[in-house]
Amino acid sequence: MITMAYEALDFYDVDSLLSEEERMVRDMVRDWVDEEVIPNIENACREGVFPDEWRVALGEMGVLGAPLKGYGCPGLSYTAYGVICRELERGDSGLRSFASVQGSLAMYPIWDFGSEEQKNYYLPKMASGEWIGCFGLTEPDYGSNPGDMITKAEDKGDHYLLNGAKMWITNGTIAEVAVVWAKLDGVIRGFIVEKNDPGFSAPEMKGKHSLKASVTSELVFQDCKIPKDRMLPGVKGLRGPFSCLNNARFGISWGALGSAQACFDSAKDYAMSRIQFNHPIASYQLVQNKLAWMLREITKGQLLAYHLGQKKDAGVWIPEHISLAKMNNVDIALEIARVARDIHGANGILDEYPIMRHMANLESVKTYEGTHDIHNLIIGRHITGIQAFTREA
Amino acid sequence: MNIAVLLKQVPDTTAKIIISEGKVDENSVSKWSMSPYDEYALESGLQMKDANNGLLIAITCGPDRSKKMLTDAAAVGADTLIHISDEGVKDSTHTQQLLAAVIKKFDANVILCGKQAADTNGGSTGPGVAEILDAACVTLVSEVSFTDGKYITMRPSNNGTEKVSVDGISVFAFDKGTTELRRPNVRGIMMAKKKAIESMTSTDLGVDLSSSNVTLDSQTPPPEKAAGQKFDGAEHVPTVVSKLRNEANVI
Repeated sequence: MITMAYEALDFYDVDSLLSEEERMVRDMVRDWVDEEVIPNIENACREGVFPDEWRVALGEMGVLGAPLKGYGCPGLSYTAYGVICRELERGDSGLRSFASVQGSLAMYPIWDFGSEEQKNYYLPKMASGEWIGCFGLTEPDYGSNPGDMITKAEDKGDHYLLNGAKMWITNGTIAEVAVVWAKLDGVIRGFIVEKNDPGFSAPEMKGKHSLKASVTSELVFQDCKIPKDRMLPGVKGLRGPFSCLNNARFGISWGALGSAQACFDSAKDYAMSRIQFNHPIASYQLVQNKLAWMLREITKGQLLAYHLGQKKDAGVWIPEHISLAKMNNVDIALEIARVARDIHGANGILDEYPIMRHMANLESVKTYEGTHDIHNLIIGRHITGIQAFTREA
Repeated sequence: MNIAVLLKQVPDTTAKIIISEGKVDENSVSKWSMSPYDEYALESGLQMKDANNGLLIAITCGPDRSKKMLTDAAAVGADTLIHISDEGVKDSTHTQQLLAAVIKKFDANVILCGKQAADTNGGSTGPGVAEILDAACVTLVSEVSFTDGKYITMRPSNNGTEKVSVDGISVFAFDKGTTELRRPNVRGIMMAKKKAIESMTSTDLGVDLSSSNVTLDSQTPPPEKAAGQKFDGAEHVPTVVSKLRNEANVI
């Protein structure tokens, strides 16, 4: 007989393929999520806040910017970064979003495209969690099509002047540092904007029914004046933001499995203890079919994520590999959340169970960082060689 | 200051224990963890190390799997990791002799351990090791510090708490401590990975394990819990109250 202590569902024992270091990092984050996140998450969602203690704890554990090396960054593997995302998202997608944005979208571009001075100045404080970062790419009218962004930068001799607006920016209002993509003479460049730069504001977007424990903001630039040394020298064009998104999407492909596992765990426990017609509902074929389907999809997703992690660590990957994993794993996680809600019956809508929260979160996760459809088009272009994003070109 | 912390790896409190043919089936244990009281001892040892610029030696006696726990101890700050093979160990006095031999080898000034292991609940390690070392032993402590050449410790007494001072080589066996074991961080984990675990056998330590007058005859699981009783309706309140008072003794 095989027994299971808590342990997230791992039917094929995929985690046995992790290194000892990766497993120790997993256990550290898993314990923290069990002790500090899960008991407090519903309250954070109700109040619509990202608890500041979580920022401090992530910095103390040293997991921010996990796969980056040097400048006070952890220097872990991409696989370890994936594992961290999965464990965080078992708590909540908003928490994982915080870590994704900090590490992959704000620290990574400074690490890869920044000057030595920029790296030395920003990265240690961001790795320790002292400074929160955000990433400004999406605009109110340019989501899937960021190349046509309106935000622009002008060279004014001794400074740059930024004008425009960004939207759907995770961490925006609480960030000290924003990595903002804007057009300079028609070419997309990255700029580091600091919280107190003149002409910069980051009002919070209210009224979300999803990612309620995560801060989402607009970034507004009205003749925002920044010093000349704030442009990222190492990249031009969409390659800059897309490199960041590749890393963040990689983390999401693991993270979504955390949500799926949380929903599976809850559905299994509920089905085992809920009695209808004198027997636990887990003893009925329709419910077992649902649980078996969840296990099947989670196991496939785990193998996909693990293998992608190995490819990423070996440096033999293409963005399409990441698109497939992000698209698949978020898709199954959302469907698993819906089926789990079904198993929980009416109880599934209560915040006593994590189901509805994960489900609502995953609706955002399905859309951000490349919508499900856009990832299909990326795969479609890979198969056919024909891009189907636009009728022009 | 050399601080020895004695650790034991036990089945996690969430793990299901299966007994087959009169013995605990170790292969059925899905998760092994550091015994909870040992965690308090380790945390206290780390605090003493930080305050006195000491060296913390984490010692375990067990099968190979228990090395993982030493790496976990290194991740939170243990400096030296010693694994003693439990091959040939027949009873707890053997374990105590092996532990004491390592403690002597490292000239430990103070020895911290849990009051009992979460699996066997024997409770003999601390006092047993102290006996062999001819050291002072204070049990059921919640905290220990080193001030003015003395170890100051707190333990429960008949009517509250007592503060005990000890000098010389001392053994402290921890009950629930005042501070939970600190969480590791990535830097600690990466350093722990590089830290060597020194393995020793009874032969290396010159401990003779040939004689023992104790045999573990068999192990049995606890009896199944009796089914609960269910009462429906307000008219049963007096019965329930009477049962809670007289049978369950909870009110």
